[in-house]
Amino acid sequence: MRLSLLLSLFLAVPAFAQLKWETTEQSVKAKPGDHEIVATYRFTNTGTTPITIDNVHTSCGCTTAALAKNDYAPGESGQIVARMDIASRTGHQEKSIIVTTKENAKSPTVLRLLADIPEPIVMKPSFVMWTIGESPTPKTIDIKVTDGFPIKLLKVEADNPDIQLEVSEVRPGVELQVKVTPKDTKRPESATLLVRTDYPTDNPQTYYAYARVR
Amino acid sequence: MTTFRQAGLILLIAVGLAGVTAAVHPKRPAFVAPPTDPNQLNLAQVQHWAGTVLWVDARPDAEFASGHIPEAVSLNFENWPEQFPKFLDLYGPDRQVVVYCSATSCQLSREIAEKLRTSGITNAYFLEGGWEAWKQAHP
Repeated sequence: MRLSLLLSLFLAVPAFAQLKWETTEQSVKAKPGDHEIVATYRFTNTGTTPITIDNVHTSCGCTTAALAKNDYAPGESGQIVARMDIASRTGHQEKSIIVTTKENAKSPTVLRLLADIPEPIVMKPSFVMWTIGESPTPKTIDIKVTDGFPIKLLKVEADNPDIQLEVSEVRPGVELQVKVTPKDTKRPESATLLVRTDYPTDNPQTYYAYARVR
Repeated sequence: MTTFRQAGLILLIAVGLAGVTAAVHPKRPAFVAPPTDPNQLNLAQVQHWAGTVLWVDARPDAEFASGHIPEAVSLNFENWPEQFPKFLDLYGPDRQVVVYCSATSCQLSREIAEKLRTSGITNAYFLEGGWEAWKQAHP
């Protein structure tokens, strides 16, 4: 009697629910013109009982995570589709999607979205400033098209004639050096530098840099 | 004596096992705290600057509208092209820029501060604990 009880305790298969993820980390590189980054995380309930995903939330308001349904039978598969709005984000971005199940509420799964968003045009810096009374010596802004983007730099102009520009081409159409000089620094001045391009052809983009005297 | 020897042996085995666990366990805790970002400041550090701080709220517009640090300016990735020139109109060389978002786990303040620095605003920092920490200190 005792032996059979012990054996049944050892041999009984415990009921459990468990999500097995194909991967919990996705690396995505945005292409020129992309407005969002999409990553899909597939899973299967490898347990012996149904499982309920009762919460999916993201670490950033810029990212949404969609799930077709909440309940998954043993052996059933599903997926979470994460979408990150690029907006003005550039460079390396890391976002998290936290998935909680009813059966394992205290151990959420953290899915990671690693995004690389190239900047079409790099301006170093995009802002120059002089203080009132400072010597009005030129300050340089380097403008460069990132490799892979079919952009041609057409023109750079300032919206304030009291901020003067001297533009020289380092590599025609793809790399410029702009020397910015205020006529004087006796009073506050403000200018937006408009960097005109030919891309995309149907609606060519203008990029902006800024100059201030204050 | 035997008891001491046995106790010593047990201790030695325990230390050995703990050492192996600490070396190979996938969920072992870090012995050294991760380095703090030099651009991260806490409220006490920011308070030293008193009136020269230019607060930047990196949260979405709706959250900014529902409450923010007095005189903070809204600057987020979604509306950067419109908001950055407005930020520049308030910025001056005598001002320290401190960016905040909702809480400690929020990455937006760090990202916006970094974008400001690459834009040419060299004195841009982000607040540890964010809006929640500020609210706690100013009930």
